[in-house]
Amino acid sequence: MTSLLLIALLAQTPHAPQQAGSALLDPAREARVQALGKQLRCPMCQGLSIADSGSSAARAQMDRVRELVVEGKSDEEIRSYFVARYGEWALLEPPAHGFNWLVWLGPGLLLLLGGLFVARMVLRPAPPSPAPSGPPAPSSSGDPYLDAVRAELRK
Amino acid sequence: MNRRLSLALVGLAVLVGVLFFAFARGFGRDPHEVPFMLKGKPAPDFALTRLDTGEPVTLAQLRGEPVVLNFWASWCGPCKLEHPTLSRAARRHQGDARFYGVVFEDTPENARAFAQPMDPSFPQLVDPHSRMAVDYGVTGVPETYFIDAQGVIREKYVGPLLDEAELTRRLRALSGPRASEAGQ
Repeated sequence: MTSLLLIALLAQTPHAPQQAGSALLDPAREARVQALGKQLRCPMCQGLSIADSGSSAARAQMDRVRELVVEGKSDEEIRSYFVARYGEWALLEPPAHGFNWLVWLGPGLLLLLGGLFVARMVLRPAPPSPAPSGPPAPSSSGDPYLDAVRAELRK
Repeated sequence: MNRRLSLALVGLAVLVGVLFFAFARGFGRDPHEVPFMLKGKPAPDFALTRLDTGEPVTLAQLRGEPVVLNFWASWCGPCKLEHPTLSRAARRHQGDARFYGVVFEDTPENARAFAQPMDPSFPQLVDPHSRMAVDYGVTGVPETYFIDAQGVIREKYVGPLLDEAELTRRLRALSGPRASEAGQ
């Protein structure tokens, strides 16, 4: 009953198909289009490339990439076309210059520092002071209750 | 021991400094906000056709008058909400600015079905494969562009324009001096 009702309801809402994407190119050029699409960020999504998103804006941008490839533009020219409109934000991989170096070098630098720290700890010679083995010699703490507890524990 | 401690403190201070710098730069902005780079740049030329008559319309032929471009789609709910505001404004500001709607990622049939009951007071343009929309740096619909008489994009408004006073204010700014010239 519920399913019937749902079908009746859904059938009534006018479903409008959106504009379809442009036709795929020949395999070699389409591979370039997809590779470029993977590098460009979809403006409507969160951390998705336009090649991976099914949103209308991503479809429009993929169509534009296809057109630019047909026009014979180089990969760099196509990337800068999008950067000129949407800023460096459009690139999923931040270009390595200026402030962005922090993103590229930061993790490696931290790993190196951590490795150096660990190496120092591991390679450090054992402390010369003879470590006493076993429980420390019982000594009177001056507190009769503490002494009693210690004596009890030692049994 | 004292030397090692001070060395560690200096290292920590450097690390905190770098992190502070990175966060200060990163937290000031909204990562979801797509930058708009074409503000203050000449609007890319376009050659589209009218949805109703099929007549060609180019940006070049509109030079000399401020232009308001509204990107919309029939599948976009907020576009339906803002359309009456735009339609009213277009009627009221006739002669001050030319209003055009641009259909984004939609079929002409859908667009016609959407526009007819709305009875828009300004012409709608068909943009095959949304080529012109991407040229303009559109990130979604609705978006409204304000282009001055010299063909320079002054600003764009993202989201539905529901406040007519807001629209009027932006329209007035179109005939005023550019932000770069205002100080001169």
